[in-house]
Amino acid sequence: MAGLADTVVKTFNGLKKDPLGMAGFVLVSLLLLATVFAAWLAPYDPFEIDVHDRLSYPSAAHWLGTDQLGRDILSRVLLGGQVALKVSLVAISVSMAIGFMLGMLAGFGPRWLDRVLVISFDTVRSFPTIMFALAVIALTGPSLNTVIGVIIVTSIPQYARVVRTQTQALRERDFILAERAMGASMLRILRDHVLPNIAAPMLILASMDVPAVVGMEAGLSFLGLGVSPPTPSWGSILNDGYSYLRNSPWPIIAAGLPLIAVTLGFTFFGESLRDIFDPKLRGRSE
Amino acid sequence: MNTPLLQIRDLSVSYRTGLGQLQALRHVSFAVPAGKIIGIVGESGCGKSTLISSIMRLFAPNAWVDNGSIVFRDKDLLGLSPDDMRYLRGNEISMVFQDPMTSLNPVLNIGRQMAGVQHRSSSSRADKRARSLMMLERVGIPDPASQLKRYPHQLSGGMRQRVAIAMALMTEPSLLIADEPTTALDATLEVQIIHRLQELQRDIGCSILFVSHHLGVIAELCDEVIVMYAGEVCESGPTRDVFFQPRHPYTQKLLECDPARIQQRTRQLPVIEGSLPNLVDLPQGCIFRQRCKHGIARCATERPLLAGDRHRTACHLSGTGS
Amino acid sequence: MSKLLDVRDLRVRFRLPGNFLSMRGKKPSHVDVVHGVSLDIERGQTIAIVGESGSGKTTLAMALCGLAPVAGGEVYFNGRKLQQDRNSRLNPDRKKVSLMFQDPVGSLSPRMTIRQALAEPFLIHRVAGKNPEEQALRLLSLVGLSEEFADRYPHQLSGGQARRVGVARAVALEPDLLIADEPTAGLDVSIQGEVLNLLTRLQKDMGLGIMLITHNLNVVRHVADQMAVMYLGRFVEQGDAEEIFSHPRHPYTAALLSANPSLDPDAKLGRIELIGEVPSLLQRPAGCEFRTRCPRVQARCKRSFPEPATDTDGHTFNCFYPEPNSHIMLL
Repeated sequence: MAGLADTVVKTFNGLKKDPLGMAGFVLVSLLLLATVFAAWLAPYDPFEIDVHDRLSYPSAAHWLGTDQLGRDILSRVLLGGQVALKVSLVAISVSMAIGFMLGMLAGFGPRWLDRVLVISFDTVRSFPTIMFALAVIALTGPSLNTVIGVIIVTSIPQYARVVRTQTQALRERDFILAERAMGASMLRILRDHVLPNIAAPMLILASMDVPAVVGMEAGLSFLGLGVSPPTPSWGSILNDGYSYLRNSPWPIIAAGLPLIAVTLGFTFFGESLRDIFDPKLRGRSE
Repeated sequence: MNTPLLQIRDLSVSYRTGLGQLQALRHVSFAVPAGKIIGIVGESGCGKSTLISSIMRLFAPNAWVDNGSIVFRDKDLLGLSPDDMRYLRGNEISMVFQDPMTSLNPVLNIGRQMAGVQHRSSSSRADKRARSLMMLERVGIPDPASQLKRYPHQLSGGMRQRVAIAMALMTEPSLLIADEPTTALDATLEVQIIHRLQELQRDIGCSILFVSHHLGVIAELCDEVIVMYAGEVCESGPTRDVFFQPRHPYTQKLLECDPARIQQRTRQLPVIEGSLPNLVDLPQGCIFRQRCKHGIARCATERPLLAGDRHRTACHLSGTGS
Repeated sequence: MSKLLDVRDLRVRFRLPGNFLSMRGKKPSHVDVVHGVSLDIERGQTIAIVGESGSGKTTLAMALCGLAPVAGGEVYFNGRKLQQDRNSRLNPDRKKVSLMFQDPVGSLSPRMTIRQALAEPFLIHRVAGKNPEEQALRLLSLVGLSEEFADRYPHQLSGGQARRVGVARAVALEPDLLIADEPTAGLDVSIQGEVLNLLTRLQKDMGLGIMLITHNLNVVRHVADQMAVMYLGRFVEQGDAEEIFSHPRHPYTAALLSANPSLDPDAKLGRIELIGEVPSLLQRPAGCEFRTRCPRVQARCKRSFPEPATDTDGHTFNCFYPEPNSHIMLL
């Protein structure tokens, strides 16, 4: 597909000119590689307990030291990355897909539907995420899937709103009118003409959303609402490390670094992508 | 006065683009006498915008002046310091743009903008206001006092353009550059605005450089006309001479193609075959050669120079091209 | 044989966003953009709708294509009356009526290749027996574009090329009526002829009826059989184009004609200058709506809108004090 090759080339040319963006890209790639191959890269079994070697500092044997149960932090952090990856992939793709559909319907469909949807989006958004999570988890008990579910529900409105605004802007454009004049159905217009034109900005927004989602999962796991022990997540490692901070700062450092790396990497990379493909978006990012 | 107000000599400007050096203007020379209206006619790609941005020295970041001079009064504008140039702009040389919506500040009302143009004057606020009102009246705006409080988006397109003209002429510049000022307006509105412009020009005595692709307005308004094609001047001279006895094949074809000119009703309208040459990879010889029906061998190898007395042409065939 | 298009007293009205003032009747709640328009076209004919900003000519085109709500009047296409849908929009057979937009690049979907754009009409209407891809290439050559354009995107085309693609798409399904909105706007004079000549050729080959929406009178003179001059949503003069050019009776028509001057620098500067600007549609002048700008206005013009009068050569106009019935030196 000629379009895809062009896009890849364009991306690389743009990144070459933007050192921050390139740095972000490199960081993101490293993170992804490390996460995907965590099982092979991890020197130890992340669940293996060695009570004699608790809270040790980094050494040749344990590059990032050990936690309060003697488990190798590096291995746990690598596995925790998989949790972060899973959560971001699932949450973002599902909420984006649903947000897309609802947003396009709101932007293109009848006014009453738009009003109903906008009110629902605003209602969901007005709930603080943590409170919402607490409420749900009080009902269902803590689990990673619940966290993913909560993140999906609270993320849908932001995608839907942006899709809605973009769809509304497109709606009055000449080429959409031309399609209507030709007799194209609403479904065809949304699928062939609206979707491709808003997909690019949405993907860029999604890549910039990764840090937020990872942070949310980390936060919820930190509060004990997410993964159940002994599964490692960056947030749960932070939580454990917090309790044992006086003994060793390394759990916190080890779990904090990837969080920072994710945020910096995706933000720089995402902004660079945005500048390459859609400079018009620049004014609107927070 | 014998020395022209503005004298452009051998101006060449190019742009650095990803595809190479785009030579937008090449060896452009002409003069604007004081108190006269000079028209610049050309189609897309002829270099009008580059020419204007060169005179105003408001270049795009990738523009490059290869050579030439733009002498205003006795100073080469290209050699002036930015401060000196800034002093001239808005004071001695003003401009009216095609789209008044983007050339007026949308968040300031008309009164403030018109007072702002007078910032160099030391007169009182009341005097400035009086002057603004007077200018608005002269451009034909009814009830000027109430318009001062309004914002650009509250005015119609015609009104906005009148305000833009009023603002440009308020400092009584020696040279007004009008870049397609009526292109975006209805024809009946154009009539009104052109008439006003003519009156003001007579009163103030300024020169006007009027860029347009509307041949009819040029014919009516301008004393002299310059015809441009793909970055070069191909013909220039008194309007009557150029329009009645066009010498350059491009001018001839351009006039032929204008439907207003065609007396006999026809369903098959004339066109100029072919398309603009590549300005990055210029062809040798005459720039119009590929679309000209009258070419001779010399046209392919030697670029014709602008030659003639008052009516000048750059063409080997008009006999004065060497 | 019924007419191709028969429009009777068509009205298009837009609701204004409501507010407190409109509820109390102080501010108008709607605006009449097309205020009673009647015209008819035969097969193979070209009618030009001429007007300036605020005339409603584009809205008229939109209404005929079902893109704007109709508030009154009737439209017959090939003898059949067009119905309105739930949103008061007309429901023409989209295979028989097509619309060419003013912005040639903007009316093409930015992320579709030209090939896809030209194939689309066949996919939308599921035309049997025609391979959309083949048809796309056939259409390209029909409008004089080489095959290499098939894989380009709209932003890679020049204005003239994009317009030709617009023509190709408009004639894809061999419609009976083509509505072209400002087909020459933004085009250099030296290539305006390309689009117009193309339309003329296609009209001859396909028996197309063309409705040309334009403010470019000079072009109308050459390509239109019929013409109608529109002001604030109404026709003020209509009929045979050549007759109107020779004998314009309505002062607005005369002003329009004189506003498009010939290229004769010696011609007397006798351009008719109108007074003021087009009034807002929200504040239509009473009686004859052109009276606020008319150089021939009298007291009677305020009292009622002039009924149509017929000129000796057959065209109609709406004016109490028309231009004298004689040759006017023009162009």
